[in-house]
Amino acid sequence: MVSQPNAALWVIPALPLATAVVNLFWGRRLGRWAGWVASASVIVSFAVSLAVVSQLVAKPADDRLFLQHLFDWISVGRFVVGMDLRVDSVSATMILVITGIGALIHVYAIGYMAGDPRYGRFFSYMNLFVFFMLMLVLGANYLVLYLGWEGVGLCSYLLIGFWSEVPANAEAAKKAFITTRIGDTLMLIGLALIVSRFGTLDFEVVFGTAGTVLTKDAATAIALLLFAGAIGKSAQVPLHVWLPDAMAGPTPVSALIHAATMVTAGVYLVVRSHVLFELSGVALTVVLVVGVVTAVYAATCAIAQQDIKRVLAYSTISQLGFMFMAAGMRAYGVAMFFLVAHAFYKALLFLGAGSVIHGMHDEQDLRQMGGLRRLMPITFVAFAVGALAQAGIPPLVGFFAKDAVLEVAQHTGREVVYVLGGFAAFLSAFYLGRMVYLTFFGEPRSDRARQAHEAPPVMWAPLVILAFGVATAEWLNLTPEGRLTGFLESITGVSPAGHGLAVVELAVVATTISIVALALTWWIYGSGRVDWRGFRERLEPWPRAALNGWYVDRAYDTVVIQPAKAGAWITAYVVDARIIDGAVNAIGGGVKLLADGGRLLQTGFVRSYALAVFLGAVAILVYVGVRS
Amino acid sequence: MRTPIAFYLMLSGILFMLGTVGVLTRKNALLIFMSVELQLNAVNLALVAFSRLHDDLTGQVLAFFSMVVAAAEVVVGLAIIVAIYRRRRSVDVDDVRELRW
Repeated sequence: MVSQPNAALWVIPALPLATAVVNLFWGRRLGRWAGWVASASVIVSFAVSLAVVSQLVAKPADDRLFLQHLFDWISVGRFVVGMDLRVDSVSATMILVITGIGALIHVYAIGYMAGDPRYGRFFSYMNLFVFFMLMLVLGANYLVLYLGWEGVGLCSYLLIGFWSEVPANAEAAKKAFITTRIGDTLMLIGLALIVSRFGTLDFEVVFGTAGTVLTKDAATAIALLLFAGAIGKSAQVPLHVWLPDAMAGPTPVSALIHAATMVTAGVYLVVRSHVLFELSGVALTVVLVVGVVTAVYAATCAIAQQDIKRVLAYSTISQLGFMFMAAGMRAYGVAMFFLVAHAFYKALLFLGAGSVIHGMHDEQDLRQMGGLRRLMPITFVAFAVGALAQAGIPPLVGFFAKDAVLEVAQHTGREVVYVLGGFAAFLSAFYLGRMVYLTFFGEPRSDRARQAHEAPPVMWAPLVILAFGVATAEWLNLTPEGRLTGFLESITGVSPAGHGLAVVELAVVATTISIVALALTWWIYGSGRVDWRGFRERLEPWPRAALNGWYVDRAYDTVVIQPAKAGAWITAYVVDARIIDGAVNAIGGGVKLLADGGRLLQTGFVRSYALAVFLGAVAILVYVGVRS
Repeated sequence: MRTPIAFYLMLSGILFMLGTVGVLTRKNALLIFMSVELQLNAVNLALVAFSRLHDDLTGQVLAFFSMVVAAAEVVVGLAIIVAIYRRRRSVDVDDVRELRW
């Protein structure tokens, strides 16, 4: 591929950065305009992205690459890292998702955050997040990617703990930051390994020469370390525990960071580095296993959640598992298609949930809702579109995305993956149906539900646009060869094909699964014929265990946190206080004792000092005289 | 005929001993100070005498240095003594004995 310089790339991340600075310093003075300034910059950034991508698409398929070198970032001897931006088909897809969906969420947040005392600060953080996320996907080497990677982690921390007056929110922010930190640190070691092997971090060089430079073991080590970073960022088992707690942040944050963009960075990393993963082979299997386990595990947790946002959080974890499943089967194009589809419908679901929470005056408990479809018709329709899309009802986009994953599994002879994936799909349709029926159908179960109100236009307009987007997003990949996956092929390669059940049969199976699950939830939660509370109680202790994420948090507390705290206690109060401080104090005390003795020599009489000097001089003279 | 070096050294030694006894026995700070000057000049005398004996100017140069240092010392020392006198109307060194444990 011949690289094409394109001078406009820097504009895309620079706009959100500029408004982030503006809102940070003048946000208070801008007042209500802060939100519009922030949204406008993301919208313009989206427009620029569209222009760049349309130029990219206009070129022949094997020549789709724009590069821009901004400046030399690090230059030490022969090791040079440039601030290089790069747009190819994968990053083109990502920047459109980030700026497009990001712009809608920004506009929505204008309504959602109205009246917040730190309104400008909120939009500053949101813009900063968009900037770092764009750097992450635009970077042409691993260091720029890592810059964005850490930056989005920082913004995630700031925004989860945005309402830090509540200690639980600050705790959640810390938990998210520290948990992802574990993965980030391993990833940094992976980057160091890449530098030691290749002497550079540039994608083009690393992927171009990986086959000759790396042994299989080295490739496995690097790929697994990179995947550790992806596990942390994308909340996969075993580092998934931060994402449900991250729902403490304002809902637009959950939609933007913890559903549509940041958490998909791990998928992007795997797709971007797929050359290394394929060299290893073992690493791909690990990706697949982690994806399958996460998809099933998180779906079982989502069923039992009582908090509307926690349902969506576990649902996100489960869906990310699907993406890693696809990547683990070398179907990187499918993983990216799933990523885009998920960004659409999960952003829609989160914004819809935010609208419900807003209309219910900050009530998030499903048990307090009910019957909201009459009071919030627009939200209801939009939310239902999102839920149906994710549940996999054709012809909505979620159906095609999930079907593509299951098809790859079936066609490459991975029957276990196919069955478990189908099971996870069943569960996801189930928890979505449960959520929709509990929220919008039946009778209101609290005063707040009876007094709920529809969201203001600035909030429902993005909902409607997104719902329209979800309803039409299947256009992206509707052609037999796949419009989006075909576009991505120059980077991701062709998805593996094989033999198995015909596509139509698979589609019928998948649709049946979804419809059965939705019908089942309607019978339990929607029809009024089943006492679902009593049903839940009869199933104890299973629902309680699922509600608590199968006690993974508690296990971490016992196995990791308490021993770590005990160790910290020992270092603080025994090692530090006794041994280290003890040694220092002993030295000090010894010197003091010596000085106490020594100062008795002082008389204060000048003449006795003079005599001492005189006697000393005589003594030296005598010594010199005797010696010679 | 040159005066033998021994005479100079004996005079120097006598002056130095006078100075030393003065420093050790006097209580008046000014007198101690004068005694110190006497010691210094005794040493200067010895230096000049040796310089002449060896026909080497180094000794004289050293004597000049010692005078300059002595002058500086006088400035500082007298200032201290004046300050002490202003504070306590006395220059008895045995009264000034706060600087001890």
